[in-house]
Amino acid sequence: MSVASGTRLKFLDCNMRIGRAGIVRPEHILDAPGLIAEMDYAGIDRALVYHAWSQEWDPAGGNRQLLNEIAGLDRFLPCYVGLPHATGELGDVDDFAAEVSQAHGAVRLYPKAHQYCLAEWCMGPTLHALAEAGVPVLLEMAQFEWNELAEILRHHPRLNVVVLQTSYRVNRYIFPLFQEFDNLYLETCTYQVMRGLEEVTRKYGPHRLVFGTGLPLTDAGGPIAQITYAELDLETKQAIAGGNMARLLGLEWPIQGSGA
Amino acid sequence: MESVFKFALHMGEALKGELIIDAHAHMGTWYNFHIPENGTPASMVHAMDLLGIRTSIVSPHICIGPCYTEGNRAAYQAAKEFPGRILPFVTINPNYPESEIIAEIEHWDKEGIIGFKFHPQCHNCDACHKHYYPVFEFCQERGLPILSHNWTGAPVNGKDTLYGLAEMFPRVTFIIAHALSGWGPVDTNCAAAKALPNVMLDTTGSLLTYDAVPEAVRRVGAERIIWGTDNPFIDPRPGLGRMLMARISDDDKRLILGLNAKRVFGL
Repeated sequence: MSVASGTRLKFLDCNMRIGRAGIVRPEHILDAPGLIAEMDYAGIDRALVYHAWSQEWDPAGGNRQLLNEIAGLDRFLPCYVGLPHATGELGDVDDFAAEVSQAHGAVRLYPKAHQYCLAEWCMGPTLHALAEAGVPVLLEMAQFEWNELAEILRHHPRLNVVVLQTSYRVNRYIFPLFQEFDNLYLETCTYQVMRGLEEVTRKYGPHRLVFGTGLPLTDAGGPIAQITYAELDLETKQAIAGGNMARLLGLEWPIQGSGA
Repeated sequence: MESVFKFALHMGEALKGELIIDAHAHMGTWYNFHIPENGTPASMVHAMDLLGIRTSIVSPHICIGPCYTEGNRAAYQAAKEFPGRILPFVTINPNYPESEIIAEIEHWDKEGIIGFKFHPQCHNCDACHKHYYPVFEFCQERGLPILSHNWTGAPVNGKDTLYGLAEMFPRVTFIIAHALSGWGPVDTNCAAAKALPNVMLDTTGSLLTYDAVPEAVRRVGAERIIWGTDNPFIDPRPGLGRMLMARISDDDKRLILGLNAKRVFGL
Protein backbone atom coordinates (compact mmCIF):
# COMPACT_ATOMS: atom_id res chain seq x y z
CA MET A 1 0.00 0.00 0.00
CA SER A 2 1.32 3.46 -0.86
CA VAL A 3 0.05 7.00 -1.17
CA ALA A 4 3.31 8.24 -2.68
CA SER A 5 2.76 10.85 -5.36
CA GLY A 6 5.97 10.18 -7.28
CA THR A 7 6.23 13.93 -7.68
CA ARG A 8 6.29 17.09 -5.58
CA LEU A 9 2.98 18.89 -5.24
CA LYS A 10 2.68 22.63 -5.89
CA PHE A 11 1.35 24.37 -2.80
CA LEU A 12 -0.60 27.61 -2.53
CA ASP A 13 -0.84 28.54 1.14
CA CYS A 14 -4.02 30.54 1.84
CA ASN A 15 -3.22 31.20 5.50
CA MET A 16 0.03 33.11 6.00
CA ARG A 17 0.75 36.29 7.93
CA ILE A 18 3.30 38.97 7.15
CA GLY A 19 4.49 41.97 9.13
CA ARG A 20 5.48 43.03 12.59
CA ALA A 21 3.00 41.91 15.24
CA GLY A 22 2.49 42.88 18.85
CA ILE A 23 3.28 39.53 20.38
CA VAL A 24 6.21 37.80 18.72
CA ARG A 25 8.89 35.25 19.46
CA PRO A 26 12.47 35.39 18.20
CA GLU A 27 11.60 32.46 15.91
CA HIS A 28 8.79 34.28 14.13
CA ILE A 29 9.35 35.41 10.56
CA LEU A 30 7.96 38.88 9.99
CA ASP A 31 9.12 40.05 6.58
CA ALA A 32 8.82 39.03 2.96
CA PRO A 33 12.40 37.78 2.46
CA GLY A 34 12.10 35.62 5.57
CA LEU A 35 8.79 34.18 4.46
CA ILE A 36 10.13 33.44 0.99
CA ALA A 37 13.09 31.60 2.52
CA GLU A 38 10.68 29.58 4.67
CA MET A 39 8.48 28.86 1.66
CA ASP A 40 11.53 27.63 -0.25
CA TYR A 41 12.49 25.35 2.66
CA ALA A 42 8.95 24.00 3.02
CA GLY A 43 8.27 23.70 -0.70
CA ILE A 44 5.43 26.24 -0.83
CA ASP A 45 5.06 27.89 -4.21
CA ARG A 46 2.72 30.81 -3.49
CA ALA A 47 1.01 32.31 -0.46
CA LEU A 48 -2.06 34.42 0.14
CA VAL A 49 -0.82 36.71 2.92
CA TYR A 50 -2.60 39.06 5.28
CA HIS A 51 -0.82 41.76 7.26
CA ALA A 52 -0.56 41.67 11.05
CA TRP A 53 -1.33 45.40 11.14
CA SER A 54 -4.69 44.81 9.45
CA GLN A 55 -5.58 42.42 12.22
CA GLU A 56 -4.01 44.15 15.20
CA TRP A 57 -4.04 47.85 14.35
CA ASP A 58 -6.11 49.18 11.45
CA PRO A 59 -7.51 47.23 8.47
CA ALA A 60 -7.10 50.17 6.07
CA GLY A 61 -3.54 50.96 7.16
CA GLY A 62 -2.62 47.29 7.31
CA ASN A 63 -3.96 46.63 3.83
CA ARG A 64 -1.84 49.50 2.47
CA GLN A 65 1.21 48.17 4.30
CA LEU A 66 0.55 44.70 2.89
CA LEU A 67 0.58 46.01 -0.66
CA ASN A 68 3.82 47.88 0.03
CA GLU A 69 5.58 44.87 1.51
CA ILE A 70 4.62 42.41 -1.23
CA ALA A 71 4.93 44.84 -4.18
CA GLY A 72 6.82 43.17 -7.01
CA LEU A 73 7.03 39.80 -5.24
CA ASP A 74 5.16 37.26 -7.30
CA ARG A 75 5.29 34.61 -4.55
CA PHE A 76 2.57 36.50 -2.69
CA LEU A 77 -1.08 37.28 -3.29
CA PRO A 78 -2.82 39.89 -1.13
CA CYS A 79 -5.36 38.97 1.51
CA TYR A 80 -7.05 42.22 2.55
CA VAL A 81 -8.93 42.57 5.80
CA GLY A 82 -12.52 43.79 5.46
CA LEU A 83 -14.99 45.78 7.57
CA PRO A 84 -18.67 46.77 7.46
CA HIS A 85 -19.35 49.33 4.72
CA ALA A 86 -21.23 51.81 6.91
CA THR A 87 -18.24 53.37 8.66
CA GLY A 88 -16.52 54.02 5.34
CA GLU A 89 -13.10 53.04 6.68
CA LEU A 90 -12.25 51.09 3.54
CA GLY A 91 -13.87 53.53 1.12
CA ASP A 92 -16.64 52.63 -1.27
CA VAL A 93 -17.47 48.98 -0.91
CA ASP A 94 -17.75 48.31 -4.64
CA ASP A 95 -14.40 50.01 -5.29
CA PHE A 96 -12.85 47.96 -2.50
CA ALA A 97 -14.23 44.71 -3.92
CA ALA A 98 -13.05 45.61 -7.43
CA GLU A 99 -9.52 46.37 -6.18
CA VAL A 100 -9.27 43.04 -4.39
CA SER A 101 -10.64 41.18 -7.38
CA GLN A 102 -8.17 42.84 -9.76
CA ALA A 103 -5.30 41.77 -7.51
CA HIS A 104 -6.58 38.16 -7.44
CA GLY A 105 -6.84 38.60 -3.69
CA ALA A 106 -9.24 37.63 -0.95
CA VAL A 107 -10.76 39.28 2.11
CA ARG A 108 -10.30 38.10 5.65
CA LEU A 109 -12.76 39.16 8.35
CA TYR A 110 -12.27 39.54 12.11
CA PRO A 111 -15.78 40.37 13.38
CA LYS A 112 -15.09 39.57 17.01
CA ALA A 113 -11.69 41.29 17.23
CA HIS A 114 -12.89 44.28 15.19
CA GLN A 115 -16.22 44.60 17.00
CA TYR A 116 -18.94 44.11 14.43
CA CYS A 117 -21.51 41.55 13.49
CA LEU A 118 -21.79 39.24 10.49
CA ALA A 119 -25.55 39.66 10.23
CA GLU A 120 -27.11 41.13 7.09
CA TRP A 121 -27.94 44.49 8.72
CA CYS A 122 -24.22 44.99 9.39
CA MET A 123 -22.24 43.10 6.74
CA GLY A 124 -24.82 42.44 4.04
CA PRO A 125 -23.67 45.16 1.58
CA THR A 126 -19.98 44.27 1.97
CA LEU A 127 -20.60 40.57 1.48
CA HIS A 128 -22.87 41.30 -1.49
CA ALA A 129 -20.18 43.42 -3.15
CA LEU A 130 -17.51 40.77 -2.59
CA ALA A 131 -19.80 38.08 -3.98
CA GLU A 132 -20.53 40.15 -7.08
CA ALA A 133 -16.81 40.77 -7.61
CA GLY A 134 -16.01 37.06 -7.18
CA VAL A 135 -13.81 37.70 -4.14
CA PRO A 136 -13.61 34.87 -1.59
CA VAL A 137 -14.00 35.59 2.11
CA LEU A 138 -11.83 33.91 4.75
CA LEU A 139 -13.09 33.47 8.30
CA GLU A 140 -11.24 32.00 11.27
CA MET A 141 -13.39 29.67 13.35
CA ALA A 142 -12.76 31.70 16.50
CA GLN A 143 -14.26 34.78 14.82
CA PHE A 144 -17.82 33.53 14.17
CA GLU A 145 -20.69 31.45 15.48
CA TRP A 146 -21.82 28.53 13.32
CA ASN A 147 -25.32 29.98 12.91
CA GLU A 148 -23.82 33.22 11.61
CA LEU A 149 -21.85 31.27 9.03
CA ALA A 150 -24.97 29.38 7.93
CA GLU A 151 -26.82 32.68 7.45
CA ILE A 152 -24.00 34.14 5.35
CA LEU A 153 -23.96 31.06 3.14
CA ARG A 154 -27.74 31.17 2.81
CA HIS A 155 -27.98 34.90 2.06
CA HIS A 156 -25.00 34.97 -0.32
CA PRO A 157 -25.00 31.78 -2.38
CA ARG A 158 -22.49 33.28 -4.84
CA LEU A 159 -20.03 34.23 -2.09
CA ASN A 160 -17.28 31.66 -1.58
CA VAL A 161 -16.45 31.36 2.11
CA VAL A 162 -13.31 29.62 3.37
CA VAL A 163 -13.33 28.61 7.02
CA LEU A 164 -9.86 28.77 8.56
CA GLN A 165 -8.19 27.54 11.71
CA THR A 166 -10.74 24.90 12.64
CA SER A 167 -9.87 21.80 14.65
CA TYR A 168 -10.31 18.05 14.88
CA ARG A 169 -13.66 18.59 16.63
CA VAL A 170 -15.70 20.25 13.85
CA ASN A 171 -17.31 17.53 11.72
CA ARG A 172 -20.66 17.73 13.51
CA TYR A 173 -20.81 21.43 12.54
CA ILE A 174 -19.16 21.43 9.15
CA PHE A 175 -20.70 18.32 7.59
CA PRO A 176 -24.30 19.61 7.83
CA LEU A 177 -23.11 22.90 6.32
CA PHE A 178 -21.31 21.12 3.48
CA GLN A 179 -24.50 19.17 2.86
CA GLU A 180 -26.59 22.33 2.69
CA PHE A 181 -24.31 24.87 1.00
CA ASP A 182 -22.13 24.62 -2.11
CA ASN A 183 -20.23 27.84 -1.37
CA LEU A 184 -18.41 26.63 1.74
CA TYR A 185 -14.72 25.64 1.74
CA LEU A 186 -12.47 24.34 4.50
CA GLU A 187 -8.83 25.20 5.03
CA THR A 188 -6.81 22.16 6.06
CA CYS A 189 -4.18 23.62 8.41
CA THR A 190 -5.77 22.68 11.72
CA TYR A 191 -8.50 20.39 10.38
CA GLN A 192 -6.78 17.38 11.91
CA VAL A 193 -9.70 14.98 11.88
CA MET A 194 -8.58 11.37 11.50
CA ARG A 195 -8.80 10.68 7.73
CA GLY A 196 -10.77 13.93 7.49
CA LEU A 197 -9.49 14.91 4.06
CA GLU A 198 -10.51 11.55 2.62
CA GLU A 199 -13.93 11.73 4.29
CA VAL A 200 -14.71 15.26 3.07
CA THR A 201 -13.53 14.39 -0.43
CA ARG A 202 -15.61 11.22 -0.52
CA LYS A 203 -18.78 12.84 0.77
CA TYR A 204 -18.65 16.38 -0.61
CA GLY A 205 -16.07 16.37 -3.41
CA PRO A 206 -12.39 17.25 -3.72
CA HIS A 207 -13.08 20.93 -4.44
CA ARG A 208 -14.07 21.78 -0.84
CA LEU A 209 -10.61 21.70 0.70
CA VAL A 210 -7.86 24.32 0.46
CA PHE A 211 -4.35 24.22 1.84
CA GLY A 212 -3.06 26.58 4.51
CA THR A 213 -0.25 26.53 7.07
CA GLY A 214 -0.70 29.29 9.63
CA LEU A 215 2.91 30.38 9.07
CA PRO A 216 4.75 32.00 10.75
CA LEU A 217 2.94 30.97 13.94
CA THR A 218 2.74 27.24 13.25
CA ASP A 219 4.88 24.70 11.40
CA ALA A 220 4.21 23.98 7.74
CA GLY A 221 5.24 20.32 7.85
CA GLY A 222 2.03 19.11 9.50
CA PRO A 223 -0.37 20.64 6.99
CA ILE A 224 1.83 19.47 4.10
CA ALA A 225 1.82 15.89 5.42
CA GLN A 226 -1.97 15.87 5.60
CA ILE A 227 -2.02 16.26 1.83
CA THR A 228 1.07 14.40 0.64
CA TYR A 229 0.09 11.37 2.76
CA ALA A 230 -3.63 11.55 1.93
CA GLU A 231 -5.13 8.45 0.41
CA LEU A 232 -6.29 10.40 -2.62
CA ASP A 233 -5.26 10.41 -6.27
CA LEU A 234 -2.60 12.82 -7.47
CA GLU A 235 -5.06 15.11 -9.23
CA THR A 236 -7.12 15.52 -6.06
CA LYS A 237 -4.05 16.14 -3.93
CA GLN A 238 -2.86 18.82 -6.35
CA ALA A 239 -6.28 20.44 -6.28
CA ILE A 240 -6.26 20.61 -2.48
CA ALA A 241 -2.62 21.74 -2.40
CA GLY A 242 -3.27 24.71 -4.65
CA GLY A 243 -5.73 24.30 -7.49
CA ASN A 244 -8.89 24.82 -5.46
CA MET A 245 -7.72 28.07 -3.89
CA ALA A 246 -6.29 29.31 -7.18
CA ARG A 247 -9.70 28.77 -8.79
CA LEU A 248 -11.39 30.77 -6.02
CA LEU A 249 -8.90 33.59 -6.69
CA GLY A 250 -9.52 33.48 -10.42
CA LEU A 251 -6.11 32.05 -11.28
CA GLU A 252 -4.79 29.13 -13.29
CA TRP A 253 -2.79 26.60 -11.27
CA PRO A 254 0.11 26.28 -11.18
CA ILE A 255 0.76 29.98 -11.64
CA GLN A 256 3.40 30.69 -14.26
CA GLY A 257 6.56 32.50 -13.18
CA SER A 258 9.05 32.06 -10.39
CA GLY A 259 8.07 29.76 -7.58
CA ALA A 260 9.49 27.25 -5.15
CA MET B 1 21.77 16.98 0.89
CA GLU B 2 18.06 16.89 1.66
CA SER B 3 16.90 15.02 4.75
CA VAL B 4 15.56 11.58 3.82
CA PHE B 5 12.63 12.32 6.13
CA LYS B 6 11.83 15.63 4.48
CA PHE B 7 12.07 14.00 1.07
CA ALA B 8 9.62 11.27 2.15
CA LEU B 9 7.23 13.97 3.41
CA HIS B 10 7.19 15.77 0.08
CA MET B 11 6.74 12.58 -1.90
CA GLY B 12 4.16 11.06 0.45
CA GLU B 13 6.34 7.99 0.94
CA ALA B 14 5.93 5.70 3.92
CA LEU B 15 9.06 5.65 6.11
CA LYS B 16 10.53 2.33 5.12
CA GLY B 17 13.61 1.03 6.91
CA GLU B 18 13.09 3.39 9.85
CA LEU B 19 11.84 2.48 13.31
CA ILE B 20 8.76 4.65 13.85
CA ILE B 21 6.89 4.21 17.13
CA ASP B 22 3.84 6.24 18.09
CA ALA B 23 4.15 6.42 21.88
CA HIS B 24 0.92 8.31 22.45
CA ALA B 25 -2.12 6.87 20.70
CA HIS B 26 -5.73 6.20 21.63
CA MET B 27 -8.42 4.01 20.03
CA GLY B 28 -12.15 4.00 19.35
CA THR B 29 -14.89 6.61 19.34
CA TRP B 30 -15.24 9.69 21.57
CA TYR B 31 -18.31 11.59 22.78
CA ASN B 32 -16.98 15.05 21.96
CA PHE B 33 -16.55 14.74 18.18
CA HIS B 34 -16.88 12.50 15.14
CA ILE B 35 -13.99 10.20 14.28
CA PRO B 36 -14.40 8.75 10.76
CA GLU B 37 -14.20 4.95 10.68
CA ASN B 38 -14.81 5.02 14.45
CA GLY B 39 -11.12 4.84 15.28
CA THR B 40 -11.11 1.06 15.06
CA PRO B 41 -7.81 -0.79 15.52
CA ALA B 42 -7.97 -1.78 11.83
CA SER B 43 -8.41 1.84 10.73
CA MET B 44 -5.49 2.85 12.93
CA VAL B 45 -3.21 0.19 11.50
CA HIS B 46 -4.24 1.23 8.00
CA ALA B 47 -3.26 4.83 8.78
CA MET B 48 0.00 3.60 10.33
CA ASP B 49 0.81 1.64 7.15
CA LEU B 50 0.39 4.72 4.97
CA LEU B 51 3.03 6.52 7.02
CA GLY B 52 5.36 3.70 7.97
CA ILE B 53 4.55 3.62 11.70
CA ARG B 54 5.57 0.22 12.96
CA THR B 55 3.95 0.31 16.41
CA SER B 56 1.43 2.43 18.30
CA ILE B 57 1.01 2.33 22.06
CA VAL B 58 -2.65 2.89 22.82
CA SER B 59 -5.01 3.98 25.56
CA PRO B 60 -8.58 3.66 24.19
CA HIS B 61 -10.77 6.71 24.57
CA ILE B 62 -13.14 4.91 26.90
CA CYS B 63 -10.20 4.65 29.34
CA ILE B 64 -9.85 8.39 29.65
CA GLY B 65 -13.65 8.66 29.78
CA PRO B 66 -16.09 6.51 31.68
CA CYS B 67 -14.49 3.07 32.07
CA TYR B 68 -10.76 2.47 32.25
CA THR B 69 -11.15 -1.25 32.87
CA GLU B 70 -13.19 -1.79 29.69
CA GLY B 71 -10.63 0.28 27.78
CA ASN B 72 -7.72 -1.77 29.12
CA ARG B 73 -9.50 -4.92 27.99
CA ALA B 74 -10.03 -3.42 24.52
CA ALA B 75 -6.37 -2.36 24.29
CA TYR B 76 -5.07 -5.84 25.13
CA GLN B 77 -7.59 -7.35 22.70
CA ALA B 78 -6.37 -5.04 19.90
CA ALA B 79 -2.78 -5.97 20.72
CA LYS B 80 -3.69 -9.63 20.22
CA GLU B 81 -5.40 -8.86 16.90
CA PHE B 82 -2.49 -6.77 15.63
CA PRO B 83 0.61 -8.23 17.27
CA GLY B 84 3.56 -5.89 17.25
CA ARG B 85 1.52 -3.11 15.63
CA ILE B 86 -0.62 -2.14 18.60
CA LEU B 87 0.67 -2.29 22.17
CA PRO B 88 -1.41 -1.45 25.25
CA PHE B 89 -0.91 1.12 27.92
CA VAL B 90 -2.60 0.23 31.17
CA THR B 91 -4.74 3.25 31.99
CA ILE B 92 -5.77 4.04 35.56
CA ASN B 93 -8.63 6.16 36.85
CA PRO B 94 -7.81 7.03 40.46
CA ASN B 95 -11.41 7.97 41.24
CA TYR B 96 -12.03 4.25 41.76
CA PRO B 97 -11.03 2.34 44.91
CA GLU B 98 -7.36 1.56 45.45
CA SER B 99 -8.19 -2.13 45.78
CA GLU B 100 -9.73 -2.15 42.29
CA ILE B 101 -6.69 -0.38 40.86
CA ILE B 102 -4.28 -2.85 42.46
CA ALA B 103 -6.37 -5.72 41.08
CA GLU B 104 -6.27 -4.13 37.61
CA ILE B 105 -2.48 -3.87 37.73
CA GLU B 106 -2.13 -7.47 38.92
CA HIS B 107 -4.50 -8.70 36.22
CA TRP B 108 -2.60 -7.09 33.33
CA ASP B 109 0.77 -7.89 34.84
CA LYS B 110 0.04 -11.49 33.92
CA GLU B 111 -0.23 -10.42 30.27
CA GLY B 112 2.75 -8.05 30.45
CA ILE B 113 2.78 -4.31 31.09
CA ILE B 114 5.04 -1.91 29.16
CA GLY B 115 3.74 1.36 30.62
CA PHE B 116 0.83 3.27 32.13
CA LYS B 117 -1.34 6.15 30.98
CA PHE B 118 -2.87 8.79 33.26
CA HIS B 119 -5.35 11.47 32.24
CA PRO B 120 -5.76 13.68 35.33
CA GLN B 121 -7.61 16.33 33.32
CA CYS B 122 -10.37 14.02 32.04
CA HIS B 123 -10.54 12.27 35.39
CA ASN B 124 -10.54 15.65 37.17
CA CYS B 125 -7.87 14.81 39.70
CA ASP B 126 -4.29 15.62 40.68
CA ALA B 127 -1.45 13.73 39.01
CA CYS B 128 -0.36 12.81 42.54
CA HIS B 129 -3.73 11.36 43.57
CA LYS B 130 -3.11 8.79 46.26
CA HIS B 131 -4.66 6.04 44.15
CA TYR B 132 -1.95 6.56 41.53
CA TYR B 133 0.67 5.50 44.10
CA PRO B 134 0.27 1.74 43.48
CA VAL B 135 1.24 2.54 39.89
CA PHE B 136 4.23 4.64 40.93
CA GLU B 137 5.44 1.84 43.19
CA PHE B 138 4.91 -0.83 40.52
CA CYS B 139 6.76 1.25 37.93
CA GLN B 140 9.57 2.03 40.37
CA GLU B 141 10.06 -1.69 40.93
CA ARG B 142 9.97 -2.56 37.21
CA GLY B 143 11.57 0.58 35.77
CA LEU B 144 8.51 1.41 33.65
CA PRO B 145 7.32 4.66 32.07
CA ILE B 146 4.11 6.61 32.77
CA LEU B 147 2.63 8.91 30.15
CA SER B 148 0.36 11.51 31.72
CA HIS B 149 -1.73 14.18 30.01
CA ASN B 150 -0.33 16.51 32.67
CA TRP B 151 1.72 16.30 35.84
CA THR B 152 0.06 19.05 37.81
CA GLY B 153 -1.53 18.95 41.24
CA ALA B 154 -0.71 19.39 44.88
CA PRO B 155 2.90 19.65 46.07
CA VAL B 156 4.76 16.39 46.69
CA ASN B 157 7.34 16.53 49.48
CA GLY B 158 7.03 20.30 49.37
CA LYS B 159 7.89 20.48 45.67
CA ASP B 160 5.90 20.96 42.48
CA THR B 161 4.03 17.75 41.67
CA LEU B 162 6.28 16.46 38.90
CA TYR B 163 9.51 17.41 40.66
CA GLY B 164 8.41 15.70 43.88
CA LEU B 165 7.24 12.54 42.12
CA ALA B 166 10.26 12.27 39.82
CA GLU B 167 12.64 12.53 42.77
CA MET B 168 10.63 10.08 44.87
CA PHE B 169 10.50 7.47 42.07
CA PRO B 170 13.78 7.80 40.18
CA ARG B 171 13.41 4.53 38.23
CA VAL B 172 10.12 5.67 36.72
CA THR B 173 10.23 7.56 33.42
CA PHE B 174 7.72 10.40 33.66
CA ILE B 175 6.55 11.36 30.17
CA ILE B 176 4.94 14.80 29.88
CA ALA B 177 2.23 14.60 27.21
CA HIS B 178 1.70 17.52 24.82
CA ALA B 179 4.95 18.99 26.13
CA LEU B 180 5.66 21.19 23.10
CA SER B 181 2.21 22.65 22.42
CA GLY B 182 2.86 26.37 22.85
CA TRP B 183 5.81 28.38 24.14
CA GLY B 184 4.62 28.34 27.74
CA PRO B 185 4.66 24.53 27.83
CA VAL B 186 7.99 24.45 25.95
CA ASP B 187 9.60 26.68 28.58
CA THR B 188 8.10 24.85 31.56
CA ASN B 189 8.64 21.33 30.29
CA CYS B 190 12.15 21.81 28.94
CA ALA B 191 13.12 23.22 32.33
CA ALA B 192 11.69 20.11 34.02
CA ALA B 193 13.52 17.79 31.65
CA LYS B 194 16.79 19.61 32.26
CA ALA B 195 16.34 19.36 36.02
CA LEU B 196 15.03 15.80 36.21
CA PRO B 197 16.87 13.00 34.37
CA ASN B 198 13.84 10.68 34.42
CA VAL B 199 11.51 13.08 32.58
CA MET B 200 10.77 12.82 28.84
CA LEU B 201 8.86 15.24 26.61
CA ASP B 202 6.09 13.98 24.33
CA THR B 203 5.52 15.85 21.04
CA THR B 204 1.84 14.93 20.65
CA GLY B 205 -0.56 17.82 20.11
CA SER B 206 -2.76 19.60 17.63
CA LEU B 207 -0.96 22.91 18.12
CA LEU B 208 2.13 22.71 15.91
CA THR B 209 3.95 25.67 17.40
CA TYR B 210 6.47 27.03 14.91
CA ASP B 211 10.03 25.80 15.55
CA ALA B 212 9.13 24.26 18.93
CA VAL B 213 10.67 20.87 18.12
CA PRO B 214 14.10 22.22 17.07
CA GLU B 215 14.09 24.57 20.06
CA ALA B 216 13.35 21.70 22.45
CA VAL B 217 16.16 19.68 20.87
CA ARG B 218 18.50 22.62 21.39
CA ARG B 219 17.48 22.91 25.03
CA VAL B 220 17.32 19.30 26.23
CA GLY B 221 18.68 17.10 23.43
CA ALA B 222 16.81 14.75 21.10
CA GLU B 223 17.28 11.77 23.41
CA ARG B 224 14.81 13.36 25.85
CA ILE B 225 11.97 13.76 23.35
CA ILE B 226 9.50 11.09 22.38
CA TRP B 227 7.07 11.15 19.45
CA GLY B 228 3.32 10.60 19.55
CA THR B 229 0.24 11.51 17.56
CA ASP B 230 -3.00 11.03 19.55
CA ASN B 231 -4.19 8.79 16.67
CA PRO B 232 -7.19 8.51 16.13
CA PHE B 233 -8.21 11.39 18.43
CA ILE B 234 -6.15 13.43 15.94
CA ASP B 235 -5.01 12.33 12.50
CA PRO B 236 -1.41 11.08 12.80
CA ARG B 237 -0.21 12.88 9.66
CA PRO B 238 0.20 16.43 11.03
CA GLY B 239 2.29 15.25 13.96
CA LEU B 240 4.49 13.23 11.65
CA GLY B 241 4.85 16.03 9.11
CA ARG B 242 5.97 18.45 11.79
CA MET B 243 8.79 16.06 12.70
CA LEU B 244 9.82 15.25 9.14
CA MET B 245 10.09 18.95 8.26
CA ALA B 246 11.86 20.01 11.48
CA ARG B 247 15.26 21.67 11.15
CA ILE B 248 17.10 18.99 13.11
CA SER B 249 19.42 16.21 11.95
CA ASP B 250 18.09 12.93 10.63
CA ASP B 251 19.80 11.15 13.51
CA ASP B 252 17.87 13.30 15.97
CA LYS B 253 14.68 12.51 14.06
CA ARG B 254 15.40 8.80 14.38
CA LEU B 255 15.78 9.14 18.15
CA ILE B 256 12.55 11.08 18.54
CA LEU B 257 10.49 9.06 16.09
CA GLY B 258 11.32 5.63 17.45
CA LEU B 259 14.62 4.85 19.12
CA ASN B 260 13.77 6.70 22.33
CA ALA B 261 10.44 4.89 22.65
CA LYS B 262 12.17 1.57 22.01
CA ARG B 263 14.51 2.32 24.92
CA VAL B 264 11.95 3.76 27.34
CA PHE B 265 9.26 1.11 26.77
CA GLY B 266 11.78 -1.75 26.53
CA LEU B 267 10.57 -2.84 23.09
